[in-house]
Amino acid sequence: MDKKSKYNRFLIWSVLSAALTFAVAFFILGYILLKGGGMVSTEFLLDSPKGFPLGSSGGIYPAIIGSLAFTGVACAVASLLAISTAVYLKFYCGSRRLYSIVRLVIESTAGMPSIVLGLFGYTLFVLKMGFGVSVLSGGLVLGIMIFPFIEVRVEKRLGEIEQDMLLSSYALGVSRYYTIKRLVLRKALPDIISAVALAGGFAMGATAPIIFTGAVIYAKAPESIMSPAMALSYHLYVLIGEGAPTEYVYGTATVLMLLILAINGAAMLFGKVNRGE
Amino acid sequence: MKRDKVFEFIIKAFTLVSVAILGFIIFFIGAESLPAFRHSGVAGFFTNERWHPMGTDPVLSILPMVFATVYVSFLAVVIALPIGVGTAVFLSCVAGEAARRLLKPFIDLMAGLPSVVFGFMGLMVVVGYFERHFSMSSGESALAGGMVLAIMILPYIISTCDTTMVGIMKSYKTSSDSLGVSKWHMVRYLVLPAASRSVLAGAVLALARGMGETMAVMMVIGNSPIFPRLLGKCETIPALIALEMGGAPVGSLHYHALFAAGFILIIMRFAVSMLVSHIKKGADL
Repeated sequence: MDKKSKYNRFLIWSVLSAALTFAVAFFILGYILLKGGGMVSTEFLLDSPKGFPLGSSGGIYPAIIGSLAFTGVACAVASLLAISTAVYLKFYCGSRRLYSIVRLVIESTAGMPSIVLGLFGYTLFVLKMGFGVSVLSGGLVLGIMIFPFIEVRVEKRLGEIEQDMLLSSYALGVSRYYTIKRLVLRKALPDIISAVALAGGFAMGATAPIIFTGAVIYAKAPESIMSPAMALSYHLYVLIGEGAPTEYVYGTATVLMLLILAINGAAMLFGKVNRGE
Repeated sequence: MKRDKVFEFIIKAFTLVSVAILGFIIFFIGAESLPAFRHSGVAGFFTNERWHPMGTDPVLSILPMVFATVYVSFLAVVIALPIGVGTAVFLSCVAGEAARRLLKPFIDLMAGLPSVVFGFMGLMVVVGYFERHFSMSSGESALAGGMVLAIMILPYIISTCDTTMVGIMKSYKTSSDSLGVSKWHMVRYLVLPAASRSVLAGAVLALARGMGETMAVMMVIGNSPIFPRLLGKCETIPALIALEMGGAPVGSLHYHALFAAGFILIIMRFAVSMLVSHIKKGADL
């Protein structure tokens, strides 16, 4: 009896923990959707912020476009470099020492606090290189932030390609370039896209890296990558800080959350379905 | 053949560019913090004085912020660990395959939510609750920061623990069942002890993540550069940088001191990560 009650306590602990975890998850999602869902209308999505404090009427169109622009630049830069690095490490890097040096650099970047990356980007991109506060500067910082995220996942996926297949390809006299292009990358493509999309969702939610490098309180939808832009995450932060009417705050939070959930959900589905699960 | 060479060249060039940029960051931050370290010495950052980077006699001590950064993250891990491990036990040992498949994606989605949303919820719910029920003049406190951060690191703790526990379950289930051992006996005397190192590594990893978090924490801790108390305001290093960088003139001592604060934060995180790899060394199951 005593033993049984001990195990019961165990069961209760695990069930309660899980209940609490999922309650919190559903609460956050539900609370914001419930309070902000009503705000989402074509007017809110397609109008510019107006009123005083700014954002207390009107919409969030420039912030949506800005967020997409930051994320796009970040993904473009980071995926090109990260996929190349992963291919290099898996197929071209001949020396163990070189491999561990590159890995160390990538891992220490993954451990960089995002605000420190923002600090770096502010001085280097905005000031020293003269990109100014712009989509480019902010996107580059976000790109650095998601580089390790993409590289690690792609390298892991490339490592899962069957050795037999590679060896057969080489044995047939197929060049390394052709093997990588036609066999490796083609097989890994769905998971690579999934990794880049997940990284994009991560970049879109980030605020700290773009506070000083790209995001501004008000701007029109960016016309080029050299113009400063609004971003949903930063706009949300600004709205909270200036005490804008709560329905506008919840509305902005809802749009940001739905965008990220859509990207992440699609990425998770895409990566999984194609792995045959 | 020519294409082969070109492709190899491009791959190598991109890798070189990446490593150069990433490696450059740490040197750059170190170089930008040098003037501040030269001004007051490394020890000057850890004296028992107030942070006062401007004026004629600047003091650059960030000791209260160092403590606050560790304090808030540690609080978050203490809160999140029992819940996270419990949830992982639930997912790997209690829930069936179908329930697990249904619930696991929510953990991943939770991990993907932006930090500013967590901060906002923390402000509305946690801070609001403190103000209404604890008769605090302001609910912004280290505890509020710890609670919000706990929710943010929960998915990481759950994922790490769950992966390990599922592995253990898979490899021992048959032998355990054939010996007639009950499931709870197995969880208590096999799964938990075997997973303990991974749990520890996950907890320390979560601590490191928490130390680098900016927005969510900054929005709920009140940001006073004083030593942290559970129900008092405090300010973490990321919050300090985020709040003061905009107002620090480029090239001033204040500006370099904020870089130095960032550099110290990197070193702190690096030290914690070293601990993780040390723990992991013995965790290979």
